[in-house]
Amino acid sequence: MIQFIEGPLWYLALTVFVVGVAWRIIALVTMKRPADLSEARSGSSGAGGAVKAIIQHSVPHGGNLGRTLYHFVTGYLFHVGLLVLILFAAPHVEFIQERLIGADIGWPKLPRWGFIIAAEAAFAGLILLYVHRLTDPVKKQLSDIDDHLGVWLTFIVMLTGCLALQEAHAGLRAFHLLTVEALMIYFPFSRLIHAFTFLLSRARTGATYGRRGFAP
Amino acid sequence: MARLSLSALGRRIAPGWRTNDRRSVSSWPGAIVVLMALAVVLASAPAAHAQQTLPDPDQIKSQGMATPGGSVRPPANAVNLPDTSGSSVRRPGETGRPAPAMTVPGNAVGNESVTESLWDRVRHGQRGAVVVPGAEQGVLIQSAGEEWRLIRNDQVVHYGGMLLLAVLTAIVLFYLIRGRIKIEGGRSGLVIPRFTLAQRIAHWFAATLFVLLALSGLIILFGKSVLLPVLGPTGFAVVASASMQGHNLFGPLFLPAVLAILVLFIKGNAPRAVDVSWLFKAGGLFGSHASAGKYNAGQKLWFLMTIILGVAISVSGFVLLFPDFIAERSQAQLANLAHGIAAVIFIAVGIGHAYIGSLGMEGAFEAMSTGTVDTNWAKEHHDIWYAEHKGQAMADTGRAEVEAGAAGDGVMHGVRP
Repeated sequence: MIQFIEGPLWYLALTVFVVGVAWRIIALVTMKRPADLSEARSGSSGAGGAVKAIIQHSVPHGGNLGRTLYHFVTGYLFHVGLLVLILFAAPHVEFIQERLIGADIGWPKLPRWGFIIAAEAAFAGLILLYVHRLTDPVKKQLSDIDDHLGVWLTFIVMLTGCLALQEAHAGLRAFHLLTVEALMIYFPFSRLIHAFTFLLSRARTGATYGRRGFAP
Repeated sequence: MARLSLSALGRRIAPGWRTNDRRSVSSWPGAIVVLMALAVVLASAPAAHAQQTLPDPDQIKSQGMATPGGSVRPPANAVNLPDTSGSSVRRPGETGRPAPAMTVPGNAVGNESVTESLWDRVRHGQRGAVVVPGAEQGVLIQSAGEEWRLIRNDQVVHYGGMLLLAVLTAIVLFYLIRGRIKIEGGRSGLVIPRFTLAQRIAHWFAATLFVLLALSGLIILFGKSVLLPVLGPTGFAVVASASMQGHNLFGPLFLPAVLAILVLFIKGNAPRAVDVSWLFKAGGLFGSHASAGKYNAGQKLWFLMTIILGVAISVSGFVLLFPDFIAERSQAQLANLAHGIAAVIFIAVGIGHAYIGSLGMEGAFEAMSTGTVDTNWAKEHHDIWYAEHKGQAMADTGRAEVEAGAAGDGVMHGVRP
C-alpha cells in the first residue's frame, strides 16, 4: 500500500495536477473576449492598470483597511505560512530533490523553529478564515461544496503533515502523501486553482479598467 | 511500590510549600489550586526556585514522609551482606564467596556503610559540589522523576479517567431521563441578535483548538492504558507520535484563543446577586424558573474556568514545550501534572458545555451559529436580558442574523452599529 502511494499514485496525481493546471491557465489566457473598441483615456494604459490592480488588491486600499483588516491578516497568515511550508519545510525540500529536480539543485531548508512558526500561522489563518466563512451570514450563503471541500482537504493535508513531523513512521508519511495526492487531483478542478490564476485575474481586471482611466 | 500522593510530591519538588494541615493539602481541590498557581509562578521565577536546596533526607525519613528514592532499588549488584565480614557491599562480578574485610574510609563507624550512605544521598537527590554552573549539575539522580511518573500514571490517569467517565455517564443518564430541554412556549418566530460575529469567531476558533488538543491530549494521557492493548505497540507508537506532534503544534495557538474569549466575553460575565438564586435553583433544572441576565451563573463559572484553566494549561504547556528555559526538570514535572489535571477538568466540564449548547437544549446552538436566539428561548433562560432587548426582536431571521453579524463586524472593523 505504501509503495503504491509513494509510486504509481504519486505519478498519477502529479500528472493530473500539472496537466490540469496547465489546461486551466491556457484556457484562461486564450479565452475569446469581445474586442474593446473604445479609445483609451489619455495617460492611461492597460498595462499600468494591470500592475496597479495587482498591487492594490494585495493590500488594503481606498480607506478599506477597517473593513478588510480581518481578511488581510488571516489571509496573509494562512497563504504565506502555507507557501513557506510547501517550499521550505526540510522534508519537502528533500522530497522535491528526490522526486523532481535532483540533489544538485536545492535551496535553504527551514530550521525547526521556522517550521513551527510557519505552521502556527498557516493553521491559525486557515481556521479563522473558515470559521468566518461558516458564521458570516453573507459569506455562508455564497459558499458552496467546492469551498468547503477545498478548505477541508487543505486542512487535512496540513494536519497529516504535522502529525508526521517526527518522521519516525513510514505509515504517517504515506498517509500525508496520500492526502496530498488527493488534493493534487482535486486542485485543477476547483477554486483552489486561484493559487495560479489570481495574478492573471487581477491583471485582467486592472487592465480593463486601467484603459478606462481608473482602478477598482 | 509505595503509593505516592500529590502533597508528597509537592513537598519534594516545591520545598517551600509547607502546611500543618495535611488533609487540606492532600485534598484534590486544594492541590489543584496550588498546582495551578505554581504552574503560573514557575514561568515567572524559575531562577529563584532553582536556588533552593533540597532538604536533608535523613530528616525527611525521620518525619515519616515518602522520600524520593525510597521506592527505588539500589544499583545492580550492590547487595547488602550480613554484617559478619566488616563490609556490607558485594562488588560487581563477585559471586557467592564472602567478601574480604574492607577498611572503611572516612569517619564511618559501626554498621554504617559509606557506599550505602552515598547511595542514599544520591537517590534522595542530595546536591553535591561541582564547578560546572547550572542548577542541576550537582545532582546525580533527580529522584522526583520516579514519583512524578507514579503520580501521573497512577493517580492522574486513574482519577482523571474516572472523572471523564462519570461526566459522560451523567450526561447520558440526564438525556435519557430528562430528554432534550425544549422551548416550553414553542418557537415564537421572532429572534433577537445575541452574539456578535467577533464573539462567534473567537468561540469557534477556541472550540476547534479545544477539540484538537483534547483528542490528542487524551491519547497522550490515556493511550497507554486504553489504546495500547487494542492497537498493539506498533500501532500505538504511530498514534502516540502523531498525537504528540499535533498537540505540540496546536498548543501555542490556544493561549491567544483564550485571551480573545476573555476580551470579547468579559462584558456581562461579572457576578450579580441573581446568580446566587440561579445556583440555588440549579438553573431551573428541577422545575422552578431561574432568572438570569445575558449569562447565567453556570455560564459565568464556565467563562471563569475557561480563563483560569486555559491560562494554566497554556503556561504549563509552554514550560513543557520549551524545557531549555526552565532551571530544573522538577519544574517540568510539576508543569506536566498541572497541565494534565487542569486539562482533564477542562475537558470534563467542556463536554457538559458542548452537550447543553447543542443536543441538550433546543434553541441554544443557534446563538453561536447564527448569532440569534428565539425570543421564547430568551424569555425562558435569560429573562432579564430578554427584558432589556425585546425591542430588537424581529420576524426576519435573515435580517437578524445580518444585524448580529454587522455588530460583529463593527467590533472587528471599528464600526459601531
